[in-house]
Amino acid sequence: MSPSNASYTLRYFDAIGLAESSRILLTVAGVEWTEEHPEWPQEKPNQPHGRMPVLVEKSTDGSPDFVICESTNIERYLARTYGFLPADLKQAALQEQIRDLMSDVGNLITGYVHCKNEEDKAEFQTKFEGLLETLIKVQTKLLKDNGNTGRMFGDKLSYADIIAYGFYMNLLVSLIKFKADIVDDVKPKLTPEIVKLISTVETDPLVEKHKSRGGSLVAVVSA
Amino acid sequence: MSYILRYFDGIGISEATRLLLTAANVEWTEEHPEWPQEKANQPYGRMPVLIEKDVDGETDFVVCESGSIERYLARKYGFIPADLKQAALQEQLRDLMFDVNHALAGRLSSRCKEDRMESEKKFEDLLALVIKEQSKLITSNGNNGLLFGDCLSYADIVSYGFYKNLLQSVVVLLPDVADIVRTMLTPEVVNLISVVESDPKVVKHTSKGNSLAVAAVME
Repeated sequence: MSPSNASYTLRYFDAIGLAESSRILLTVAGVEWTEEHPEWPQEKPNQPHGRMPVLVEKSTDGSPDFVICESTNIERYLARTYGFLPADLKQAALQEQIRDLMSDVGNLITGYVHCKNEEDKAEFQTKFEGLLETLIKVQTKLLKDNGNTGRMFGDKLSYADIIAYGFYMNLLVSLIKFKADIVDDVKPKLTPEIVKLISTVETDPLVEKHKSRGGSLVAVVSA
Repeated sequence: MSYILRYFDGIGISEATRLLLTAANVEWTEEHPEWPQEKANQPYGRMPVLIEKDVDGETDFVVCESGSIERYLARKYGFIPADLKQAALQEQLRDLMFDVNHALAGRLSSRCKEDRMESEKKFEDLLALVIKEQSKLITSNGNNGLLFGDCLSYADIVSYGFYKNLLQSVVVLLPDVADIVRTMLTPEVVNLISVVESDPKVVKHTSKGNSLAVAAVME
C-alpha cells in the first residue's frame, strides 16, 4: 500500500498552524517532499476547497496528481499510508478519537480569537480551558498506562504522538500571535508525562531531521 | 457483535452513526444517559459514545468523538473504501461538514450581534462550499444521486445526517437556519437526500419520523 516512489507537495502558509503534524508525518515517512506557499488569497480558487493545507501526491507514471485537503484528512491519509496509524480498526479509532478531541480544543481557541464580545470570549475561554484539561488528563492516563515511556501507544512513534506534538507546537509557539496569554493558559497545566511525550517525539531519530520553523518545543515547555 | 450508542434523545450529531449502524445490519440500541450526571462515566465526559459488545458478551470496545465513531463503523462495514486514496476523497468532505457545524455552534453561542453575524457568514460560506463540492461530485458521478460509485457510501450517509441535523434538528434553536439551507440546496443535493432516504440499507431508519426529502424542498 505504500507508494515508495511517491513525492509530495504540501501547500500552506509559511507558518506552523495546522500543518505541522503533516510536515512531521511527511518527514518520518521518509519520502521526498516540498512546500509551496501560494499567494493568498489569489490562489484560493485553485485549491480543492478554496482552503489550505492541500497535499499533492505527485504521480510517477504520468497519471494525474492525487490531491487532497482538510488537515485532519491529510494527516490520516499519510499516517495510514506510511504505517503510523495501525491497520487494526480498533487501535486506529483509539488514536483518532484523541485527534478529534484536539481539534475541538483548537476550534474553541479559534472561537475565542474571532469573537469580539467580552462575554462570548469569556465563555470560549472557560470551555477551552475545560476541554484542554480533559485532553491533558486523557493523554496523561494513556502515557502512564503505557509505562511512561513518552509514547501513548506501543513502543514506536505513532500518529497520536506526532499529532500531539504538532498540536502543542501550534498552541505554544504559533497561536501566541492571536492570543497573547495562551502560554499561561497551557503551560502550567502540562503534566510531566506530556512534557516527556514532547521530548520523546522531538528527539526521535525519524523526527530529528525536521527543522521546525517553531524551533524546539522542548525548550518552550522546559523554560 | 452488537452496539450501544450513547447520546441525547435527538438527531444532533449522531444521525449519521445511527444510519451507519442500520446500514451495517447489526444489532444496536440507544441509551440516553442522565445528563450531566453521567458525564464522568464517559471516556471524554462527552457524547456520543459507541460501545461494541463482543460475541462473548464480555469484552466491550468503547470509542468516542462522532468523527471517529463514524469512520470506525464505516471502515468496518465497508462503507469507506479500503483504498486509502478513495477513502481520503470521501473523508475530506466530511471534515468540511464538521467545520460548518462549528461555525453554526459559534452562531448559537454568540451573545452580540457582530459575533452572530460573523459566525453566520462563516456558516453560509462553508455550507455553500459543501453544496458546491457535493453537486460537482454527484454530477460527475453520472447524476445517480450518489457521491461516489453506484452504491451507498459513507459520504452519502454522513451527508444525509448532516442535512437532517440542519433542517430538522437545529431548526428548534435557530428557526431561520432551515430556510437558509433550503434556499441554498441544489437539485443534485436534494436528489442525494431523496436517494439515501429510500435506500433499502437505511430505509428502516429513515422512514421513522418526518421525511428529510420533504423538508429539503421549498414550501
